Amino acid sequence: MRRPAPATVRWMVLVALLALWEVVPLTGALPELFLPALSKTLTVLWIDRDIYFAALLVTLYEVALSMLIACGLGILAGALVGGLAVLRILLLPIFSSLYAVPIVILYPIFTAWFGIGSSSKIAFAGIYGFFPVMLSTAAGIRTIDPQFLLAARSMGATLPQQITRVIIPASLPTVFAGLRLGGALAIIGVVVSEMLTASAGIGYLVTLNRTILDSPRVFAAILAILVLSIAYYMLARALESRMLVWQTAGRRRTSSAPQIAATVPAPSAA
Amino acid sequence: MQHLANLNELRGQAGEIAIKVEGLSHVYPGADGGVPALADIDMSVGKGRFVVIVGPSGCGKTSLLMMMAGLRRQSQGRILCLGQPIPEPDPQRVGVVFQEASLFPWLSTLDNIEFPLSLRGMPRAERRRRSQAMLSLVGLEGFGERYPHELSGGMKQRVSIARGLVQDPPVLLMDEPFAALDEQTRMTMGHELLRIWSTARKTVVFVTHSLTEAVYLADEVLVMSPRPGRLIDHIEVGLPRPRTYEMMATEVFGKLRNRIWQQIRKTV
Repeated sequence: MRRPAPATVRWMVLVALLALWEVVPLTGALPELFLPALSKTLTVLWIDRDIYFAALLVTLYEVALSMLIACGLGILAGALVGGLAVLRILLLPIFSSLYAVPIVILYPIFTAWFGIGSSSKIAFAGIYGFFPVMLSTAAGIRTIDPQFLLAARSMGATLPQQITRVIIPASLPTVFAGLRLGGALAIIGVVVSEMLTASAGIGYLVTLNRTILDSPRVFAAILAILVLSIAYYMLARALESRMLVWQTAGRRRTSSAPQIAATVPAPSAA
Repeated sequence: MQHLANLNELRGQAGEIAIKVEGLSHVYPGADGGVPALADIDMSVGKGRFVVIVGPSGCGKTSLLMMMAGLRRQSQGRILCLGQPIPEPDPQRVGVVFQEASLFPWLSTLDNIEFPLSLRGMPRAERRRRSQAMLSLVGLEGFGERYPHELSGGMKQRVSIARGLVQDPPVLLMDEPFAALDEQTRMTMGHELLRIWSTARKTVVFVTHSLTEAVYLADEVLVMSPRPGRLIDHIEVGLPRPRTYEMMATEVFGKLRNRIWQQIRKTV
């Protein structure tokens, strides 16, 4: 028997999980308060679609702005810290240790400063996502093969050319890894802060419905967040593989490779 | 040797100097006055000649080459390249081929070859024409759209040579370009390099620690001592060109190789 492709298996697992979500509550093994059936969750999602849609828009707005802060400031700070030895020695240990601090402890202070509206979520999630972007940008620049820069100089590259033609493309893969992580953290930051103190957004719907024990509506909100995060992840991956097409080039066309022996002249003895 | 004189005349530049090094010394800065790397180097390379510098690892031969390329400053002495000092890299005078192919992994083969041309802002069509010509010169037609990770070590060095030649510089400096290759590929590449050199007619300064490679490729071999590097011997190879693999088995070849070995052995 042929082994199914990994992608097929992944889809089968997903379908199986969704089926379990539907079947297990129907058998009565779990009370509805713990796990309402998928169909029931989808039904309330449809009934309250206006509410959920409005909440999702608020969340999306906050996520977009916090990602902008995380990525923009993260890349800028990472480039400075990675590129300038003075800043690196002074700041990198500080940033690295700050990254280990659970920044969520700052959120109450942020609500005091920015109120319980969107601003506090954006600020908190922006900072939350900032660290991986900044650290990986710095690492990406720091780990560039010095041979690349030497070769570029030997070919007459000026400093601006070295930056745009060598340093940026060479650090892009590491920077992208940081952006993917930073974006995911920004989503987490927004949702968590909405769950803690808020008056709008998907996270707020989770907390609100949990306090009134409306389990299907809690799960409807969770489902919306799941879809949002997965959509983000797929988008990020697609963008990444478009930008870094050179990393995977060989695997796409190994079958059509011309034979080297045919094109390289054999050394003659004479 | 009759044929040697003829060859120099054939190149039409007998006696003209491409690179002149005068009283060059270099000290790496550090405690206790630093580490002396090169001492009292005087040498000249005739136009169109293939000169190989051999020496033990760490003798400073790569540093010397980097100074000729304008990539590093010496502490003392001067280097004239085609009559002019070379304080900065000048790709139109000097092309450099490095030990690691140092191709940019995010650029295709053709884009890598064109890189120095695009830095100068040459129009795309002209760039493509030139890089295609270089690609066929190094025998890699059909690989122009490949990325470096899809190429073998020998192919990468071919691309690297093409990139060094694309601006048509009169001088080509090569820093152990085949050191990372296996023995068979290395011999093949040496042979290929001579073929390319015989069509492109460049002045080549080639650094290696392989004695066989040195004798096989060179018009002249310069032998360097361990750090601080000094020139301790200058050998005219005088084997006829084109060189063949059979020559490696000849007595002359063995004697030349042995002479270099004796020189290096004395110093270590």
